[in-house]
Amino acid sequence: MLKPILLVEDNPNDLELTLIALAKSQLANEVVVVRDGAEALDYLHRRGEFADRTVGNPAVILLDLKLPKVDGLEVLKVIRETEALKSIPVVMLTSSKEEQDVVRSYELGVNAYVVKPVDFAEFVRAIADLGIFWAVLNEPPPGSRRYVKPK
Amino acid sequence: MTQAPTDTLDLSRCADEPIRTPGSIQPHGFMLTLSAAPATPLVVQQASANLEHWTGMAAGDAVGRPLAGVVGEAAAERIAAELDASPAVSRPAYIGTVTTGNGAHFDVLVHAWDSLLILEFEGVERRRAADFRHLYPLIGDFLVKVNQPATIAEMSELAARRVREVTGYGRVLVYQFDTDGHGRVLAEAKADGYESYLGQHFPASDVPAQARALYTLSPIRLIQDANYVPAPLVPELNPATGARNDLSFASLRSVSPVHLQYMRNMGILASMSVSLIVKGKLWGLISCHNAEPCPVSVEKRTACEQLGQILALCIESREDAAELQFRLDVRRIMVEMLGHLTKGADFLENMSGVFPELLRFARAGGVAIVVDDRVLTYGDTPSEPEIRSLSQWLSVHGRTEVFHTDHLKDVYPAGADLVRNASGLLALPISRIHQHYLLWFRPEVVQTIEWAGNPHGKQASPNDPTQLTPRLSFQAWRETIHGRSLPWHSAEIELTIEFRTALLGIALERAEQMAELAEELGRANKELEAFSYSVSHDLRAPLRHIVGFSDLLIESAGSEDPERRQRFLKNIKESARLAGKLVDDLLSFSQMGRAALRPTKVDMNDLVSACIDKLGMEMQGRNVDWHIEPLPTVQADPTFLHLAVLNLLSNAVKFTGQRDPAVITITSEEDADFVIFHVADNGAGFNMEYVHKLFGVFQRLHRMEDFQGTGIGLANVRRIVERHNGRVWATSVQGEGATFSFSIPKHPSL
Repeated sequence: MLKPILLVEDNPNDLELTLIALAKSQLANEVVVVRDGAEALDYLHRRGEFADRTVGNPAVILLDLKLPKVDGLEVLKVIRETEALKSIPVVMLTSSKEEQDVVRSYELGVNAYVVKPVDFAEFVRAIADLGIFWAVLNEPPPGSRRYVKPK
Repeated sequence: MTQAPTDTLDLSRCADEPIRTPGSIQPHGFMLTLSAAPATPLVVQQASANLEHWTGMAAGDAVGRPLAGVVGEAAAERIAAELDASPAVSRPAYIGTVTTGNGAHFDVLVHAWDSLLILEFEGVERRRAADFRHLYPLIGDFLVKVNQPATIAEMSELAARRVREVTGYGRVLVYQFDTDGHGRVLAEAKADGYESYLGQHFPASDVPAQARALYTLSPIRLIQDANYVPAPLVPELNPATGARNDLSFASLRSVSPVHLQYMRNMGILASMSVSLIVKGKLWGLISCHNAEPCPVSVEKRTACEQLGQILALCIESREDAAELQFRLDVRRIMVEMLGHLTKGADFLENMSGVFPELLRFARAGGVAIVVDDRVLTYGDTPSEPEIRSLSQWLSVHGRTEVFHTDHLKDVYPAGADLVRNASGLLALPISRIHQHYLLWFRPEVVQTIEWAGNPHGKQASPNDPTQLTPRLSFQAWRETIHGRSLPWHSAEIELTIEFRTALLGIALERAEQMAELAEELGRANKELEAFSYSVSHDLRAPLRHIVGFSDLLIESAGSEDPERRQRFLKNIKESARLAGKLVDDLLSFSQMGRAALRPTKVDMNDLVSACIDKLGMEMQGRNVDWHIEPLPTVQADPTFLHLAVLNLLSNAVKFTGQRDPAVITITSEEDADFVIFHVADNGAGFNMEYVHKLFGVFQRLHRMEDFQGTGIGLANVRRIVERHNGRVWATSVQGEGATFSFSIPKHPSL
């Protein structure tokens, strides 16, 4: 059974677009959607409304940077500091290439950093690439390079 | 006298002479020492060797005898009675005139010192105590007249004349010591035939330090005949201490042979000195000279001592007044300068604005400000490179405190080239860290000093093997002094230190202002960063959405799902609208930071009801229950405050969307300094865990689709309230409601 993909996204439009992109990439993984950083941590820690979910970490976390309550960087930090969670691949999704965000994300040990492109087709391709790499090819060894899908 | 090896024989040898313990007395009287223990019979412990001359009894025979056995029953009884009536103190006191067994008359002085009772018998012609009557009016008259003259020199001259009248000495000088210890003759009274010393200087070496110290303690000293033969004490050592007697205060104390030689060189055989003690320090001396030996009896000495004391007191008060006046003047200039210095922001500009005052402040010829590489000068100063090297030297020598000299070239080698306009230097370091100085320069004052004899002539010649020879010539000797400026007055130095403290105070205040400004700039910068950060994130999102949904729309053209296409269109429209609102809100937010506040009286009741009117649209179809207490008036900018309150009320309406009825309560309270307003609602509330993010730009605690908004509203509220120097905060129980509060100072200047 495939592990789910955890999508953390607050903006309803971005959510819809990302879900469409994931659908287009035809991944078989279930996509679990949470809407802010606090909810994401609840899911990962299996607490609150997620207390009863099946045990197991997601295959990959697609994490928006700007989130209500607990932002993406804070979520990432908690994941990397928690023994049971720290091996989960995390892909940061963000609207911008703000240097401070990129630097901080890599400092905190992000696996990939994706600037949401304005062009939707490109966005679909990026999501598909990521999905395939992280969700299908399974746990990559640490330090592995980003997978480039042959054209 | 101390024997000294020839190669080290110099003036300082004088300083080694045992002037307090000469072991002998002058022979115009005799000395007996008795045990000082009270209630012991008066038994002689020591006697001066000249006892036989005065009483017929050999000194050796007197030792161990009762006093009566040496001076006779009557004299001993008299002395014992006086001692019973008033025990001896540490300075000689005249206890009466006695007649000894051999019929000779003596004035008797007694003092207790060095574990002994010291009796001095000065031979006199009369049987009874001296007649003081003619001395009282003399002193009384002096008291009346002494304060009339304008100057200290004139007062001193009056004193000199009176002392001459009392003593009958040929020449009386009043001289004052300068800071280097040289004496200058300030006033003089003399008989014809005596050379005048008025205006002349005596080198410091004429009165060695130990002699000065003794003058300070013992106010009068008489040498009746410089050719005297000293009479040693028998036995030589004080039986109570086993050492030579300390005769510091004895009237008959024998003086240094060097001094006697000095007197003979001057052509005088009798001398008397009265100390002028001003504020506990030896200010000067009244020095009396006579060509022939000349006694001065105890009552005359007392009168002279009193004249000296009166003169010293007058000098003290005159100097105090002059000093005070001088300080007041300097201080007035300083205050004037400080007034200017606090005005502008630029230190250098401020300082150079008060150049004339700076000059007057230190009575200087030139002034320079050195700040890093910049040198600003005013008046007559050395050149810029010279000033730069000078400040370099100051800093290398760690001059971090006020430094002054009136002979720069002697401490700073390159100062030799600066003599003309910078013989004197007063340097004020302005910064503890940097090489910043305020420098005052005083020009050279070529001084011609008229010495009473060559001051260097007292040096013993190398050929003179054993005997220290005082200088032989008292012919006036001119010396021209180069490389010196007027000395800096202590008030100038003290006020310079004060000036520095004030300057540092100003600098500190300025630094605080800068820090405040930096903090403000930092805050503005942070907001700007947040602004640009947000622009890149939040403003880009709706654009991306528009493009994304448009792409999807195009892609799905002709598809059979019209509902889905409808939703894409709706999303596009919503995103466009949001983008527009974001731009508006961001603009208003950035304006908030720039526009000037125009505070006025604002009636909060009116303001709140105006806000509620504006919210009509948002409340359409809603059941909102407003509870508004009577509210006070505040001092604030009405436009801004309106925006803040509108934001809070709009939030309250927004977050009570699920409630029927929505209850919104507006209350106020006051403390000493602030009026505080609370807006409470029964809406969704928020998690207190994230309260710290509530007022940040683009921070949201709720999902976009639950509660619309750009995330700028509360940031605006905070900005407005903080610009009024108030504070904003919020509390909530999630699901039950929230209370937003803000305070506005009662006194806007707070």
